[in-house]
Amino acid sequence: MDLRGFLRRTAMQRPAVLTVALPGATQLRLAVEAEVRGREWPTASAPAAADLLVVCGAPEPEDREWLDCIKRSMPEPAVRIMVEETGHVAHALDRARRELTGRAATPREHEADRQWDPTAGGSGAHAHGDDHDHRAHHGSSPSQAPDDHGRRHQSADQGHDGHATHLGQEGHERHDPDDHDGHMDHMDQEGHAGHMDHMGHDMHAMGEVAGLAMAERGDDRDELRLDQLHVPIGPGLPDWPTGLILRLTLQGDVVQGVEVDHLPAPPGHRMPFWDEPWLRAAQGEEVSSGSAARQRCAAHLDSVGRLLAVVGWHDVAARCRRLRDEVLSGASRLGISRELGGVLRGVERSRVLRWSIAGLGELPSSRAGESGVTGPALAANGDSYDRLRMWVDEIERALEVLDDERPLTPGELTGPRGRLDGEQPPSRALLDILPELLTGAEFACARIIVASLDPDIDELALTPVSGAAHA
Amino acid sequence: MPDAAPLWATVILPVALAVAAVITAGLDAVVSGVAERGHAGSVGEAGRRAMAPLREALRLLVQQPRRTTAADRLLERLGVVLVPVAAVLAGAVLPWGFRSVSDPSVGVVWFNTMEALAWAAVWLAGWGPNSALSLIGGYRFLAQGLAYELPHMFAITTAALGAESLRVGDVVAAQDGLWFVVWMPVAFVVYLLSALAMAFWGPFEYPLARDAAGGAAVELTGVDRLVLLGGRWMLLVVTAGFSVPLFLGGGHGPLLPGWAWTLLKTAAVLALLVAGRRLLPTLRMERYTELAWMVLVPLTLLQALVVAIVVLNR
Repeated sequence: MDLRGFLRRTAMQRPAVLTVALPGATQLRLAVEAEVRGREWPTASAPAAADLLVVCGAPEPEDREWLDCIKRSMPEPAVRIMVEETGHVAHALDRARRELTGRAATPREHEADRQWDPTAGGSGAHAHGDDHDHRAHHGSSPSQAPDDHGRRHQSADQGHDGHATHLGQEGHERHDPDDHDGHMDHMDQEGHAGHMDHMGHDMHAMGEVAGLAMAERGDDRDELRLDQLHVPIGPGLPDWPTGLILRLTLQGDVVQGVEVDHLPAPPGHRMPFWDEPWLRAAQGEEVSSGSAARQRCAAHLDSVGRLLAVVGWHDVAARCRRLRDEVLSGASRLGISRELGGVLRGVERSRVLRWSIAGLGELPSSRAGESGVTGPALAANGDSYDRLRMWVDEIERALEVLDDERPLTPGELTGPRGRLDGEQPPSRALLDILPELLTGAEFACARIIVASLDPDIDELALTPVSGAAHA
Repeated sequence: MPDAAPLWATVILPVALAVAAVITAGLDAVVSGVAERGHAGSVGEAGRRAMAPLREALRLLVQQPRRTTAADRLLERLGVVLVPVAAVLAGAVLPWGFRSVSDPSVGVVWFNTMEALAWAAVWLAGWGPNSALSLIGGYRFLAQGLAYELPHMFAITTAALGAESLRVGDVVAAQDGLWFVVWMPVAFVVYLLSALAMAFWGPFEYPLARDAAGGAAVELTGVDRLVLLGGRWMLLVVTAGFSVPLFLGGGHGPLLPGWAWTLLKTAAVLALLVAGRRLLPTLRMERYTELAWMVLVPLTLLQALVVAIVVLNR
């Protein structure tokens, strides 16, 4: 056929993928990452760079709003899919590509160069209808009935810090700052924040540009009155702990204030993926210590990969992620220890890495102990670099017993992020310590500190599980 | 005194730069591919990976651009377009063998001016979209500029000093026999670092870093994105290529003609940079500025002093 159509279809053979995972979907995220890597599709670091948004996990009704927002900020032909079962990843990606090539071949001209405006109720409604279509098409898993989300909202489970109460409404009432705070902040992310955050503040606006308020002012660290932005960064950011939301008050790129929030962790029904072996052993199942070591190894490789991606050492980060998947898929110690050993030695020996992140997020073990932090962050007794080294040490130790068939002692309850039998899940303590570590840091440092603690939101739903196991 | 290049060279220059940019990006994709997916099983496989930049370009061309609210379109577009424009204009004084498109008497200064254009480009591209993360990316380039610019200027001044001329042709001519890299090693190494910083690529990709979700490029879609990122590769080729006339003897070399030596040397420098990128994380300017001002500035000054004394006693 015509050359233009051919080129348009060819272009979308390998779409750029933005993966957004929801709490409780760690395993799905890993499956999607592995599949995307296997297909050699590029990964996008922001919605603007992406063609395909892959949502891992079943969104709660209140997630809809910010997911729509990400979708709307992607350039056409943008497609979103939701993946809810690991077995369906390949299939879902195939269908998404078909949809993308189809839409690329017949572009909708009227949408060309459209303005992306989160405040416009009209376009919002339009995009909703649109997405709904996609959901019905690829709603990914056949097991999941395409339901009417718009309606489900009203009866949605209440009690997630108030989001549920207003998310059912399609139109935004623009006059109630509080109302907006609730969900607008959710929209996180990727710098749209700049025009998103105003909504909570437009009452005090000094002036408006295109319906957006001007920045506020505040004293900076040298007591100069400078512009202040409220930037929520959150669940859609790449290399970011799943489901974590930070509401930052920024001056330039200095973090002046932090409020820690997170997406609701789905309660109960599933164990946090990274803690599974220990929790299962505590429930009386027989778990080999080799498989526990494997899980710890993979969990730390995931964290190390994330931290290295944040510091911009992409090659080593990519290696860590590939090796993580190999460890999880049952590679033997002999098969993997050569490459893994090389990667870990490279990390340990890099002086530039040390010079680059040493001194960030200093957390002495006395302070860590007071605030209930356990696991590697406590043992590291130091800064981001020490925590990285602690992960590397634990990976090396776990690697030694990777193929150990002896059963795990049920009393051993220290997961990758700390003690699972404490008063609170280990990641809770990591979240609680964030504000004091982040305040005053620059944006880049703040991201490194968060990555060096790598809290796992999945664990927050843990309390009842481990409580029951111990009763 | 080198001959003037024919007029058609003006047309060839952007094309040649673009081709070199695609090849360099392809090499980078192959090397990254080894880290991401393991060794390519066959030559065909490696070839497919090397095509990634072209696929990426096509993909971005098909995307329909979208704008952010209250964006300053004019400044954003200007910033984006300035990147390849700066690369091509800087490339005009780059000698191919012994001929360049233009060889003004202030060629070295011209080159440095074009690089200042890149400052404006990244800052405008970061400012334009009215988005917090892209603004952070813009700020970062200013910090980066402050960090690398001083040592960089001293490094290229040193080469000009050695040739006693700001004309690029004279700098090449002065290296007939002994390459400047031999007696100005510090200036050469500092120049390579600042070449990366100018092209905001590799360890110096801080303004476009992934931790800020792409920094100054976070809101760019479709063609805009292609022009900025493609322009960045062209800038890398030009800045790396300029180290050849400055320090590596330009077209001088035995047996082969001048153009072949230029090509070989440029390819070697680019391969070195692409391979070296694997060894380093992104440098944060908060740390690098300290190194640049406390260590690199004194070192380059010392180097310039040594060269000046040699030149005076010649």
